[in-house]
Amino acid sequence: MIYTRKSPALFMIGLIMLAIWYLLESGILSGYIGHLGGTKYKYAGEIAVVPLYFGIFSAIVGAWQWFGTHKEGNVDYYLSTAAGAMFILLIAMLVRWFLAPEIAVISESFGKVGNTGKYLHKILGLNYVVLGIVTGIIIVNVFRIPGWAENGVRLSRLGLKTGVILLGTLYSAAELKNLGGLSIIMIGFFVLGSVGLVLWLGARAKIPSSMGGVLSAGMGVCGVSATVAAAPVVQAKSVEIAYTIGTILLWGVGCMFVFPIVGHLLDMSHVQFGAWAGTGILNSAQVAGAALAYQPDGIETLKVAEIFNITRVLVLPIIVLWLAVWYVKREGVESAQQVNVARVTFEKFPIFVLGFILLFALSTTGVFAPANHYKGKYFGNTAASGFKEENLLKPGQAVLLKEEFDKVQKQDRKQALQRLIDHGKVMSMEDDDVLRGLINAKVVSEEASRVLKKAHKAVRHTAKKIKAFRDWITWLFAFGLVGLGMQITVSSMRQAGGQPAVIGGIVGAIKAVLSLVVVILLISETV
Amino acid sequence: MKHILLASHGTEGARAAEKKVMEMCTDDVRVTHLLVVPEFWKDMLGDDWLNNHATRRRFEDYLEKELNDEVNGHVRRVRDQLADLGAQAVHEVVLGRPDRCLVDACERTAFDLVVMGSPRPRGSSGLRSRMTTRHAAQHLKTSKLVVPHPCG
Repeated sequence: MIYTRKSPALFMIGLIMLAIWYLLESGILSGYIGHLGGTKYKYAGEIAVVPLYFGIFSAIVGAWQWFGTHKEGNVDYYLSTAAGAMFILLIAMLVRWFLAPEIAVISESFGKVGNTGKYLHKILGLNYVVLGIVTGIIIVNVFRIPGWAENGVRLSRLGLKTGVILLGTLYSAAELKNLGGLSIIMIGFFVLGSVGLVLWLGARAKIPSSMGGVLSAGMGVCGVSATVAAAPVVQAKSVEIAYTIGTILLWGVGCMFVFPIVGHLLDMSHVQFGAWAGTGILNSAQVAGAALAYQPDGIETLKVAEIFNITRVLVLPIIVLWLAVWYVKREGVESAQQVNVARVTFEKFPIFVLGFILLFALSTTGVFAPANHYKGKYFGNTAASGFKEENLLKPGQAVLLKEEFDKVQKQDRKQALQRLIDHGKVMSMEDDDVLRGLINAKVVSEEASRVLKKAHKAVRHTAKKIKAFRDWITWLFAFGLVGLGMQITVSSMRQAGGQPAVIGGIVGAIKAVLSLVVVILLISETV
Repeated sequence: MKHILLASHGTEGARAAEKKVMEMCTDDVRVTHLLVVPEFWKDMLGDDWLNNHATRRRFEDYLEKELNDEVNGHVRRVRDQLADLGAQAVHEVVLGRPDRCLVDACERTAFDLVVMGSPRPRGSSGLRSRMTTRHAAQHLKTSKLVVPHPCG
């Protein structure tokens, strides 16, 4: 079979990307960029690079797809995905660079909302992630996915999995230990609780075991993914699958919008929101969407939420096995030999999690950043570790600090300040922490504080590889989520109904509210 | 000889239509039974991204088999009933939007009458995939008989 479609689409996508790049580079877009924020506009650097490379790639491969002759084989198969992948990427670009900033400009023109101190688009989480998913949903439901793009749209899953694997580079061992422990407790409690509650409610409502089984997996573990994994095992009927997936999709899309709004109104920290989204949102795709919606320009929330997602997916084979045994016992289907433990475990094991662990292990060796890095930032006060001599204290700055020395009372602060004055730079990570405490305590004048802040910045470096990983992760998730949006159809959501909708609604609401209460009460603002 | 199109995929409303066609069956009636598998089934993997290819494949195969069994069951039942009445019948199974497939079928073949069931009453369970839509009403040029739903 030949997969490549003879179509000008990819070539045109390439031309559009190159046009975006050219319009910015030539200054034609300057006026519009000024309207979107001028010097505050964050994406000029990205537009100067990303559309150029992907535009050239798309134009070349697109010309080949359009005019070339195609033969069956690997080249045809793999390159046939380019059109769909570049289609998603173009949408992600347009939304991230132009649509989301335009909505921010409009929202800011209305002023802040009441006494929240926040603009409407911030409260509603209308950023490039949410808008990208919504654009994907609109495209598939209004226009359908064009035939030339179908093969490539599936690559969005690969984008998300690669994003999770790369996330492995961003955790410190302590973070992973703390988050892992927290997620095991939270997920363990809420997964088992939801599965048990659905089965119990299902038994009370006298729904068939197959329906209870497939619904409990979806509501308890990771939404559609768990439903897909569990349906054949509990021999769910087609209508039960439709009800369950419809309910979960509808609930998941709703949660993706509602969770960030609640999070902003309650002023939740990134850790708290990540933990809540990771526990309370049924569908794993929407967990990532909500986390990025809550914090679009950083990935701290995503890091927390994804640990919860990974824990869920690791629990999936166990739950599927449990349901299989439960179903066989309850229905007395043929024989217990139907449950092949090894096969279920092997098939359902998420191999991409191994990639995540591998990259985490590599990052702890210092391959990507010094081993003492935290969130990609590390301390370094030597030339070899990135310190620049021009950042040494100037004589005037040293004099200013000496003059204010007596204002400082605490012994450790005095010592750290003295070492800074003597050497012209912060001498250790501990000194850096102490001097930051001194800044926050507002003991010294504003001018002296500025000098201290500059000294702090001079010894704090961002690892280039880690920064590159962060950028890649952001793009991979944006790409993946736009693509997943293209797989959410209204017709499948409309199938939400019957008893699964009632039971799912009850359990989903309990899970969301209870996990919010637990997170607010028990989880601190940092890990 | 009259040629009737029976649009039915086995729901309660559609069975009422089947019953009506059985009542109309005489020696000079030929029946084409159109069974539409709604296209939303193609999207039932939703936004799953965690599962591997093997798991998704197993799900697709399982769902396909389930739908196949259901379709075969409906076709067999209608075929047996029509055979008992001695009516000539053909069965057509297609994948798509039910209303559009109905209009397409009527454009391909000149039927004398289209018989279909009514949408189920609000609140009763069932999949949301309708044959009797505004699109069908506007585009069907064949005479049609919409049989009332048994639940009123």
